[in-house]
Amino acid sequence: MEQPWVDWVKERDDPRMAHAKAEALDDITVLDLSYKSYAGCYCSSLLAEFGAEVLRIEPPEGNFLRTCTPYGMLYKGEGLNYLTEGRNKFHLTLDLRKLEGRKILKALVSQADVLIETYRPGVMDDWGIGYEQLKEINPRLIFASITGYGQFGPMSRSQMPDYDNIAQARSGIQSGTGEVMPEGKSYDECPWATPTKAGPWIGWAQPGTFMAIGILAALHWRGTTGEGQALDVATAEAYARFDDYAALWYQGTGVVAERFGSLDTAGWIYCFAPTKDGAVFLGGLRLEMWQAFADMVGKWDEWEAGSWTNLTIFTEKEQQLKWAPLVFAETGKYTNEELVNMSIGYAKKGRLAPITPVVAPVCSPQETMKDANWLDRGIFISVKDPLYGELIVAQAQHKMTETPIRTKWVCRPIGYDNEYIYLKYMGFGPSKLNKLKKAGII
Amino acid sequence: MAEKTWQNYKEKKHSKPSPLKGIRVLEVCTLILGPSGPCFAAAMGAEVIKCEVPPLGDTCRDMTPFGYLFRGYGPVFVHSNINKYWIGLDLHKTEAQEVFLELAAKSDIIEENLRPGVMESWNVGYRQIKEVNPGIIYIAKNGFGQWGQYAEENRPSNDGASQAFSGYAWMSNFPGQPPLKSRIYVCDDYGGLMGEVAVLAALHYRERTGKGQFIELSQSENIMRAMSWVWPYQQITGKVAMPAGNRDVSVCPADTFYCADDSFVAIAAPAPQEFRGLCLAMGRPELAEAPRFKDHLVRLREENATEILKLIADWARTKTSGEIKELAEKHGFAASPIYTVKDVVEDKHFQERGFVTELDDPLLGQYQDYEFPVMMSRTPPRVKWSVRAVGFDNEYVMVHHLGKSKDEIRRLYECGALGKWSDTPGRRPPIDWDGKAGLILARDSEGKE
Repeated sequence: MEQPWVDWVKERDDPRMAHAKAEALDDITVLDLSYKSYAGCYCSSLLAEFGAEVLRIEPPEGNFLRTCTPYGMLYKGEGLNYLTEGRNKFHLTLDLRKLEGRKILKALVSQADVLIETYRPGVMDDWGIGYEQLKEINPRLIFASITGYGQFGPMSRSQMPDYDNIAQARSGIQSGTGEVMPEGKSYDECPWATPTKAGPWIGWAQPGTFMAIGILAALHWRGTTGEGQALDVATAEAYARFDDYAALWYQGTGVVAERFGSLDTAGWIYCFAPTKDGAVFLGGLRLEMWQAFADMVGKWDEWEAGSWTNLTIFTEKEQQLKWAPLVFAETGKYTNEELVNMSIGYAKKGRLAPITPVVAPVCSPQETMKDANWLDRGIFISVKDPLYGELIVAQAQHKMTETPIRTKWVCRPIGYDNEYIYLKYMGFGPSKLNKLKKAGII
Repeated sequence: MAEKTWQNYKEKKHSKPSPLKGIRVLEVCTLILGPSGPCFAAAMGAEVIKCEVPPLGDTCRDMTPFGYLFRGYGPVFVHSNINKYWIGLDLHKTEAQEVFLELAAKSDIIEENLRPGVMESWNVGYRQIKEVNPGIIYIAKNGFGQWGQYAEENRPSNDGASQAFSGYAWMSNFPGQPPLKSRIYVCDDYGGLMGEVAVLAALHYRERTGKGQFIELSQSENIMRAMSWVWPYQQITGKVAMPAGNRDVSVCPADTFYCADDSFVAIAAPAPQEFRGLCLAMGRPELAEAPRFKDHLVRLREENATEILKLIADWARTKTSGEIKELAEKHGFAASPIYTVKDVVEDKHFQERGFVTELDDPLLGQYQDYEFPVMMSRTPPRVKWSVRAVGFDNEYVMVHHLGKSKDEIRRLYECGALGKWSDTPGRRPPIDWDGKAGLILARDSEGKE
């Protein structure tokens, strides 16, 4: 190959050139009716990043999610979570509690490919706009529901709403994540040594992402057969699917995965280790990488690393508890930067080179946001939005040579796009819109 | 109405078509970030051919919790590799590269998670494959992507590195405690999932235009995408985003509480009706009307949130988590005990939905695992079979897909292009394997009848 791979690919997938390229989903229209759910907004964002025309429909008073913002903070009148997932969408209002509103929705449905909703099961049916009713209008419709308990099963008619922390709690993952209670201590002394959820809204973002691939697979099926269908994601189930070993371990042995701090039940060496100025992640899931670590910190002989033949033994609990303090004593002698450089250097000159342990600094998100590597790769390119100014929302999470994703605008206030969208899809001019507004329909 | 749509969903799952029927994926992946994406595609009916370097194959094969193997395999490996076909192909060998290109010419998608440039050094990189198949969709997943300082330093990476690099771990412990690693491989699995979003969008584009493309993905960047408010918050305030334990700083009240029966319960009740319901359940209806709590944005302020969460914590300690869940159902707010994995596997709701699903595998036997979590009324995704030994389906793929003769197959074995398992844990078939179960076109590796 005449041109080095790195140059060839960067020339074709640098996100800074995305705006000049084609969009994969610009033939698709999505109605996002999700309410009080980041999962729904996130799902439609993933489609909007690929150019789908997403009509975000909220009641005239706005989506409650707009008020779900850290510490109650607003930026130019908008909550920060809603701000990050308003991207590339048209924001309109429509009151589905009113008959006239539902009539308008049906007219939109007849022109749409995908509908995303997050109401409790039965609510859309009661309104006369459930899947069975809408498929009469548009048999090609893909009707995607994201809820806490799903569309069927004994708990599906629960009155309880869906939130990220509830999905995390029901997944089985929170219970096994967190610090170990120090011996002889109680909850009151160490309230941090308890089941611990992930800080970010992974119990919402992840089900939204699962639904996105369900929708795309359903579009593929529809392309072949013309058939639409209904899709059902329950947030706790989606998140639990990421629990890669606990269910099998439990079945085989009766062992319930417990908290193990920042060590790893299923891998060695695979942990956070304290350093002079913070902590690093150490990773090596092959015996040679663990040996390379021992060598890198000058313990090859003392630890008799050359005689190790089996990594599995090291993953056993007692072995981990024996070795972890020895490892931490070594990492404690260095700074994060020194350890990272030792690993890069070892890959070149070490006894086992090019094998080297994974060493990564444990960063604050502020350090992450200032890291030249990520800035270069375009994940934090700020969006120049006419309403919200230059704003940083994470983007370009994958890079593509033909149809890269892009963020064109970040968000819009309540009902901002009513005029354009209702004219485009419904033929409503200003006088009709005024009437609908006075009647509280939009 | 929803009842009609989903009636007997679980029972009828296997009598309906799969959404990705007819799509062929070639996988050259190890551990979790790589294999998880094709695993999702395989659950949706894509034909996934997993190529491993014999005789050891995927590093994940013997990755075990505290040394425990599930019927001879690492449980992470079993969970992340359902419904696949298995070939042992040593891509270091020219003859193996030729076989790979023959398969690539007949495939729709290639997935790999090696470091940048490795596939190309084996003559099976994107630029080489698109010569034989211009419509190919090729995704490369790893820690740092294909370019940039870290990629060019050729740094290795894995899930824990991404939890560290992205700030995700920083955001996921209690204030004052060091950053905490999740028990699950969240950046691996999430990278695999997000990769499929890109792959399936590219497939849609290819169906419209005939054009394939190259996709690259860094697992760190992926998890950053899911961290929502953190980035604009830091930009706007100039401050670092801080962890808050189990409290959700964007939803109030939402936290995990310690209960009277030494258990934990998660509660969320931010919307007006939900908050009123919680206050009523607590016997404190007046709180819902208090100016500092009435409005969600005001309630979210640090001093107000701290106060209401303390009131709820004191109340929760007088109840069991089960009692609180019942009160939540009655009053319309959200609550759940913190489920252990035992609770999930044995939960009647998860079982009746078929989320906890039963396999009856010719090699690994009967067991339960989690189903693909998107239920599709017309084309249900499903788990069908479990993992196989390295090179287990060599003969099937060589004969059925490439029409190779016995002699050709023998030559491929002789030169080391094709290979099978080593007799080690995670690589070989289960100890009680009868030499036949699970084989397709039952032929042995020597080509004897």
